[in-house]
Amino acid sequence: MAKHYAMAVVVAKCIGCQACTVACKFQNNVPEGQYRTKTPVVGPKGTFPNVSMYFLKEACQMCQDAPCVKVCPTKASHYNEAGVVLVDVDKCVGCKYCLTACPYDARFINKDTGAADKCTFCWEARVSQGQAPACVSTCVGGALVFGDEKDPNSEIAKLLSKNKGEVRKEEFGTRPSIYYIFQGVK
Amino acid sequence: MDITWGASASHEIAWGGMIAVYLFLAGIAAGAFLTAALTDLFGKNRPAKLIRAGAYIPPIAIVVGLLLLVFDLGRPLSFWKLIFNVNFGSVMSLGTFIISFFTAVALVYAYLIWTWPVAQARGIQITVAGVEAAAAREVPASGLQALRKPVAVVGSLLAFGTATYTGFLLSAVSTNTFWSVPFLGISGVPFLPFLFLVSAISTGLAATLIGAIDCSDLTLYKKVDIILLAIEILLLIILYTSVSSAFFQGGLASLFWIGVVVIGLLMPLILAIYGVSKHKNLVVPVCGMVVVGGLALRYFVVYAGQMVR
Repeated sequence: MAKHYAMAVVVAKCIGCQACTVACKFQNNVPEGQYRTKTPVVGPKGTFPNVSMYFLKEACQMCQDAPCVKVCPTKASHYNEAGVVLVDVDKCVGCKYCLTACPYDARFINKDTGAADKCTFCWEARVSQGQAPACVSTCVGGALVFGDEKDPNSEIAKLLSKNKGEVRKEEFGTRPSIYYIFQGVK
Repeated sequence: MDITWGASASHEIAWGGMIAVYLFLAGIAAGAFLTAALTDLFGKNRPAKLIRAGAYIPPIAIVVGLLLLVFDLGRPLSFWKLIFNVNFGSVMSLGTFIISFFTAVALVYAYLIWTWPVAQARGIQITVAGVEAAAAREVPASGLQALRKPVAVVGSLLAFGTATYTGFLLSAVSTNTFWSVPFLGISGVPFLPFLFLVSAISTGLAATLIGAIDCSDLTLYKKVDIILLAIEILLLIILYTSVSSAFFQGGLASLFWIGVVVIGLLMPLILAIYGVSKHKNLVVPVCGMVVVGGLALRYFVVYAGQMVR
């Protein structure tokens, strides 16, 4: 069976240390002031005794029905052999149609290349070599779990079978591969 | 930016003023071409000055628009890759071919109109029977001029494609609730292509009328302009009732109400109805406001879709 790489974000375990943000900048040589992933704070909101605050990791949601791939005029945005959404920098003309289509604001125009850029799940350097993405490897609190969702023995499959994983903006029907487990947070 | 404690996704405006102006220019080009070509094809007493204005505006407008498009790219020098890497599922990819062919045909048509009087004069010279008869009747098309009407037909189809594609370009972004709003709630029928088509014809006609200012009888065209303005008002009422009112608030509210509605529609409509029979000298203010309103409309739609989500 074909693999389906997915990531789970266990929101309650994230302490907002930004190790993922930094690891991504190290791994992917992302230009100054630009980010493939970042983990901003949500809150604090509410009043005592119902005050809440948590961190929400943002990056490409690796949609299985990706609006960016659909609109791309040159097929620069594509699914690779493992279903991971990637940008072929050579084909990209920088028209920004994908930026308008992405409901997650996950994309930006790379200052150095002029091409659309975003999280790749560290496909080239890590995942295709059997390693986890840099953000997952470095995560201090164990909040990020990565793997083949279709392999019932994988850590992520087990985690998602026990916990409810929510996807962002489900109403757009993009079928993201990033699941957020909000248990204990909201 | 304080990424630890601050701002979440920066919510950039991906498509800004350059794209809005491009959409406006593509609309003007398509509308002016349709005005000239349809007059050329079906007009009874064809006002030459109007056909000329309508034929010369499109190449200028579309070329300037294309330059804006190219400069807006993250990698302007790689624009040619749009021609060799095709995605039939992408409106932009299809649009690349529509506007490329339209630009080429608009240039050819402008050239044929440019050389048109020369051919006419030659026809008059050759006719021995009498100069008057030759001038009154259609001169038999000779040489390249034989292509003029076929070019007008093909160009009209491409102009229609150009005007509507700019709407489909935005409405195809299904994750954008403003751009992809359906027409009267009918799923699968996007609203924007209708609005952009009417706006394109309206602004293109207006620009052509400014160019043909000293033409004698333009009553028909002025009436068409009034009808188009009325349709556009109806379409905007439909839009207003179809989407969240959040899109018409904040910084965009004045652009919409003053730029699009008052300057672009209500004032020209009132002045046009008042002046259609009496005042010739209202053409420039009326048409000028229609053009400015058309630009405001494209700006509004491009920005509203990206500011509020």
